[in-house]
Amino acid sequence: MAVIQIQDVEKIYKGKVHALRGVSIDVMDGEIFGLLGPNGAGKSTLVKILMTVIHASKVSGTLLEKPIGDRKTLEYVGYLPEHHRFPYYLTGKQVLHHYGALSKVSRNDRDSRAYSLLERLGLSGWEDKKVNTYSKGMLQRLGIAQALMNDPKLLILDEPTDGVDPVGRREIRDLLAELREEGRAIFLNSHLLSELEMVCDRVAIMVKGQVTLQGTIDSLTKDSKRYELNIEGTLPEWAKEQCDEINENLLIVHGDDPQKIQPIIDRLRSDHCTILSVRPVRENLEDLFMRAVDYTDTPGAVK
Amino acid sequence: MMQFKALLLDAYRQLSAAKLFWLTIGLSTLVVLLYGSIGFDKNGVTLFYGLWDVESKELNAGSPWARGLYIGIYSSFLVNIWLAWIATVLALISTCSIFPEFVHSGSIELTISKPIGRLKLFFSKYLVSLLFVVLQVTIFCIGIFLCVGFRVGDWNPMIFSAIPIVTIFFSYLFSVCVFVGMLSRSGITALLVTGVFWMGLWSVQTAESIMNNFITRYKVDIEHFEEGLIKSEAALAIIEEKSPDDSRIEGRRTRIANFRTDIEESKEALAKLDGWHGPISWILTISPKTSQTIGLLDRWLSDPDGFDIGAIMNGDMEAFYEDIEDMEEIDSTTRGARERETMRRMREDYETRSLWYVLGTSLLFEGFVLGLASCYFCRKDF
Repeated sequence: MAVIQIQDVEKIYKGKVHALRGVSIDVMDGEIFGLLGPNGAGKSTLVKILMTVIHASKVSGTLLEKPIGDRKTLEYVGYLPEHHRFPYYLTGKQVLHHYGALSKVSRNDRDSRAYSLLERLGLSGWEDKKVNTYSKGMLQRLGIAQALMNDPKLLILDEPTDGVDPVGRREIRDLLAELREEGRAIFLNSHLLSELEMVCDRVAIMVKGQVTLQGTIDSLTKDSKRYELNIEGTLPEWAKEQCDEINENLLIVHGDDPQKIQPIIDRLRSDHCTILSVRPVRENLEDLFMRAVDYTDTPGAVK
Repeated sequence: MMQFKALLLDAYRQLSAAKLFWLTIGLSTLVVLLYGSIGFDKNGVTLFYGLWDVESKELNAGSPWARGLYIGIYSSFLVNIWLAWIATVLALISTCSIFPEFVHSGSIELTISKPIGRLKLFFSKYLVSLLFVVLQVTIFCIGIFLCVGFRVGDWNPMIFSAIPIVTIFFSYLFSVCVFVGMLSRSGITALLVTGVFWMGLWSVQTAESIMNNFITRYKVDIEHFEEGLIKSEAALAIIEEKSPDDSRIEGRRTRIANFRTDIEESKEALAKLDGWHGPISWILTISPKTSQTIGLLDRWLSDPDGFDIGAIMNGDMEAFYEDIEDMEEIDSTTRGARERETMRRMREDYETRSLWYVLGTSLLFEGFVLGLASCYFCRKDF
């Protein structure tokens, strides 16, 4: 089942800024979906449209099988906005109760969930302290706890690891994996490519208000798979014909079939070449991202 | 309802976290304590809990004037000066940043992404933001109620009518504060614009009141002059009939001519004033009537048998003297009589203005401003 299914989302701001230009995305139940893109690509705008914070100029599709903009659906969606600010006069527990009540969570459920979430997010002992005494990382974790107060089917997190230290990031990653195991769908919006690569089942890359790539990381990097053979000394003449690319002492063979390189290895050995290493190589998310984003242009939305 | 309760609780926490809230509560308590320090015994008035005695034959324990004075101090001074000015300014300072904070980037996304409609959210937030004034005035009224009860034995529940009256009065200004705060996202800007708006309202109301005073005075003058003219003409006719050579005839004719001139001049002045008064009355009709709203309390609390301090402050000495003859001894001149009549009519005019005129039209204005603000809030991309 698709928890998010949107087609041709358009957003043109008053200043004629074309923030989204026909975005279509599908997010399936029980998966972690990552949305990547440079600053100004329109990622947050898309998330805000899903959460009714921004009105789309044009939108069709569903959120949890209900039309986008349906308020009642938001009872089952947890959301952590980027750069969120909690009221300074509230304690951690009060924050969870307040936003839980706004999400129509009953008093009993709020009581039980608040403590378990604070514990789960590593904020035990801080529940009665005012949020203005929290560190950035703690506020981020409290934000995630807030998003989980209504026991959501879909969790939308905008830069959830922003300001969180490496240990905290790992904890959040583990938490996201646990939440996926529980059957929740997670929509992640982040700049941190390595983070996303570790947890996302599928990703979409947005550039200038358009989705340029979408799919599993495996499928998106399939064409980039190759073997690299590092040779010592002079390369034999025949290597140019047998290999797809040669870069100094590096022989590159495209594809992910290991049988393809066996004859090359045999021939190198018979020619008494010293093979320093044989390495299967695959494009990582960062390479994919850099390929998708043309940095020769100015990043940002289209005017 | 759960969401409204959450917003209400949040508003209370926000207020209780503000030092100004407690400062205002403290000042209100001080005002109530000062008010309570005024008492009456059989010899007269006691001040500062008996530290200072003022002997009086009229104002003493059990006298209806004592009751009138005591309630009059509340309705004419404490409400008009403390609640309607000082406490309102403090309330505006305390609450001006509520909506700018509410729509601040990072906060608003958390709230409007919840399953609550924007319109419901806006009006719920607006209503709970009035909590500051409701709490302040309620605490103040409880104190005043106890003071009046213990001091003059009048357990008057109408004292609590200040709660809705002052809250409604504050809401006229707060609606503007909310609208500007939403547009500018700045509490200071909202406060300044609201202050200017309040001064504007005060100016319009004062101008209307002054013009109304002149118009009423000219009307009274014309009536008196016409009455004088009729009497003088009748007297002249009698004199002329009895003795055509009477030396008083010339004097009477001069007086009649003077009356006619005065009537003409008054009518001319009245016509000029009417030309100005019309537009100002229109502006007043469509704008919030802050003074008249607060004046409702004085109207509802005034004691027909007692000492009406509000009326005395307005120059109506009739309120102080039970016997009209006493009054005439003090104020027996024709000008004095005309002024007294002017004040009486003006007071009657304001007191007979309907609740619809005072509250209805003011609330319509507030509704219009809130309509604009809510429309902006519902359509805005945050």
